[in-house]
Formats: sequence, structure tokens, C-alpha cells
Amino acid sequence: MARVLLADDSETILLLLRTRLEMEGHDVETVVDGQGVVDAVRAATAPHDVLLLDAMMPRKSGIDALRELRAAGVDTPALIVSAHTDGGDGEEHEGLGIAAYVTKPIDFPQLFTLIAELT
Amino acid sequence: MIGVARFLQQRQDFEDATARSYQREIAARTRLAQGVHPAAARTAILSQQRSRQVLRDEISSQTRDTALLVGAGLIAGLTGAALLFTGLISSMRRPLEDLVDASGRLAGGDLDVRVKVGGLSETATLGSAFNEMAEELQRRAGERDQLERMKDEFVLTASHELRSPLTSVQGFAELLLLQREKLDPEQAETVEVILDNTRHLVRLLNDLLDLARSDAGRLTIKTAASEPATLVEDAVRTMRGQFEARGQRLGLEIEPGMPTIEADRDRIRQVLVNLLTNANDYCPEGAGIEVKARRVDADIEMVVSDDGPGIPEEQLAHIFERFSRGDAGETQRVGGTGLGLAISKSLVELHGGAIEAESTRGEGSTFRVRLPASASPATPASHPTATEAS
Repeated sequence: MARVLLADDSETILLLLRTRLEMEGHDVETVVDGQGVVDAVRAATAPHDVLLLDAMMPRKSGIDALRELRAAGVDTPALIVSAHTDGGDGEEHEGLGIAAYVTKPIDFPQLFTLIAELT
Repeated sequence: MIGVARFLQQRQDFEDATARSYQREIAARTRLAQGVHPAAARTAILSQQRSRQVLRDEISSQTRDTALLVGAGLIAGLTGAALLFTGLISSMRRPLEDLVDASGRLAGGDLDVRVKVGGLSETATLGSAFNEMAEELQRRAGERDQLERMKDEFVLTASHELRSPLTSVQGFAELLLLQREKLDPEQAETVEVILDNTRHLVRLLNDLLDLARSDAGRLTIKTAASEPATLVEDAVRTMRGQFEARGQRLGLEIEPGMPTIEADRDRIRQVLVNLLTNANDYCPEGAGIEVKARRVDADIEMVVSDDGPGIPEEQLAHIFERFSRGDAGETQRVGGTGLGLAISKSLVELHGGAIEAESTRGEGSTFRVRLPASASPATPASHPTATEAS
């Protein structure tokens, strides 16, 4: 079981991911944008095991939130969910400690394996 | 020119003289007929005839001179003309050669090409006409490129935008199936239909995305030294279940000790799985499929062949074009996107390789993928040289 911080601006995707992750026995906290991610990490009494962030979110993206967290010394493993199938922009995302990119539509067995490997 | 003028003048003189002597003769004859001074008239007529002869001789000699003069003039003229033309030609040759050269480059796709406008007015006109044409072509090519880019961008954006709703549809359908025990058999089947179609849509989307990237020159590969044997075995392992499900025999023959290839493993696996999926789908139950990997000259050749129904000749010619597929009935039965081989071709070519198909009706089809082998020495094969599965 892992403590997962989940961020997505789509209510539907949040519900789907949350349901599947909870069915696997994970403890899931959800936020709807990058600022929510930063706030949730700062407010957490026990650190999260994995950050599962949508790459594109209004106001503050998952990438921007991660950059801010990394700058503040937070080294929680991160998975980026993206509609892009070619992963992220290598140079732009370098040094952000992104463990893997998860492509939409989500391959859940693969996602569960990734989370298990990171925790 | 002077010669000709003189000739004409002399000819006129001759005619005038003839006319005058003719008038005199008529007058004499008239007098003779009237019986006036017959002897004098006869003398006059004879004298007239004599003088005409003299005149004729003179004229004929003058004509000779004139011909000579004209000939000489003509030669001089021709020489002058030749000199003139030589000058003219050499002053035209250069611009014309430039035009021919520029046309060749333009036809070869160099739309930046322009010629220097100058020289004779005719070549200058040609030159500026050529430049105007090149401008126009360049402008249209620019518009076309922009349209192409917009189309590519549209496909890229559309396929990204479609991904989120598809994620939900597929995800919730999967969620329903996870609670199969709460569904009656009919409901479960309905959800499976939703899921099948969603997966098909996702495949189509992925394929369209690959093609749009390919068209935009943004389909990229990340290569690493790879064992051809491993790539082939991976693809075969992925597909083994499908062949077993249709009772098809799958033979695998891998040459030991092949050199490595610089390959994007996921992409080459995608190509091989695509070829195997086609064989699996288009061959009847119980058909035989052979997969081979071997070294051919400086290449590694991966072959997927089957003893299925074969591909009609007219279809074989277009088999690597997008949406080129079997007849409608087959297509309905087989599924697939009709894009697999077009993408496979792009991917193989990105690796500096080639893909080809051959087929005989009623005997089967063979697809060959050739990829350049690395210059690095051959690695000993740790794989069995031949395995058989059914």
C-alpha cells in the first residue's frame, strides 16, 4: 500500500484513477491543479510515497508543480500522466526526477507495477 | 544589295529599250503595209532587228556580271550574317544555358533558384518570365506547406484531445468488467463490446498520430544496439497466444551469431507485431506462419511468411499505402486500422532499412524487413537456432 497524491483537472479521470488505486489498496489524496499539489505536499503530516500528476493542468501544470517541489528539496518519486505518447520534452523535464510517463489511456496493470517498484 | 539594285535597273532599261524598238518596228511595219517607202522600211526593220540583237547581247553580258555581283554580295552577306549570328548565338547561349540549368534545378525542387535577367531583350524577357514563374511556384509551395503543417498540427491536437475522453470510456468499461460478478452475462458482453471498440479507437488514434508525426517529420526513433534475435523472439512471444487461438502453426528460425542492429526496440517490435498480426488475421485457421531472421550481406533480414490466401496483385502494389486494405468483407472480419503497414514502412525507413512484400495467390505472402547491421563484431547467439510452436 502506498500513499499516492493524485492530481488531474478532470473530475472523471480523478474518479477513475482514485477508484482503481483504492481497489488496489492504495491510500489516495486528490487535488485538481499544480498549486493543489504544492499545498498538499507542504501540508502533509506523513510524506507521500508517489506523486501521480497530470502533465497539463490549468493555472499550474504538474510539471511546474514538480519543478517547484524539487527546488524546495522534495524528492518524492513522481509519475507524469500525459496525453502525449512520446513522453515529455527530454531537456525541459531533465532534473525533475520523473520516474516514468504514463500515457493515456492508462494501462492500469502497468501503472500498478510502476507504483510497486517506486515504493 | 547594291548588285541587286543595279541588276534591277538594267533589267528595266532593257525592257524600256525593247518597248521602244518594238514601237519603232510596228511603225515601220505599218508603213510597209501602207506601201510607203518599202525599201526604206525594210532597211529600217532590219536595222531595228540588228540593234535588238546587239541590245540582247549587251544585256546578257550585263546579266552575267550582275549574277556574279549578286553571288559575291550574297557570300559577303552570308558571311556577315554568319558573323552576326555567331555573335547573336553566343550572346544568347549563356542566358539560355542558365535557363536550362535553372529549369532543371527548379524541377528538382529547388524553388529558390532565379536567373540573372539581362542581355538581349528576348532572353531578358525569358529570364524575367522564368523568375516570375519560380516566384509563383515558391509562393504556392509555401501555402501548401502551411496547409500541410496545419493538417499535421490538427491531427496531433485532435488525437491528444481525444485521449482524455477515451481514457474515461476505456477505464470505466474496465472497471465494470472488474465487477463482472455483479453483471448478468448480457451486460458483461455489452461492456466487452464497448471495450473492444474503445481499444480499436485507441489503436486508430495511435496510428494516426504516428502518421501525422511521420508526415510532419516528427516521428523519431531512439536507437540502441539490439540483438535481432531478441527482437524477433519478443514479437513472437507477444503474438503466440493469438496464433494458438486460431490453430495456426508458428515456426521460428533464427540464424546464430548475427551482428547487432541499431534499433528502437519498441518500434521494431511494433513492426514485427504488425506483420505477425496481419498473418494471424488474414490467414485461415490452421495456416502455417514462418518467422526468420538471418544475415544478408550487410543487412539483417527479418521475414514473416505465410501459406495463406495471398494478396491480389493490384492490392500488393499499394499495400504500404495508408488505408490500403483487403476487400470490405475481409476488413470487417479482420478489424485493424489499415495504417499498420504504412507506419511500419515509415519506421523501417527511419532505421535506414527497407520493407517489401511479395505474394502469390493461393500460395501465401512474404514480408521482408531489412535493417542495416552494425559494424560491430558479431555477438554469439545465446538463442536456440530454431524453435517450433503450434
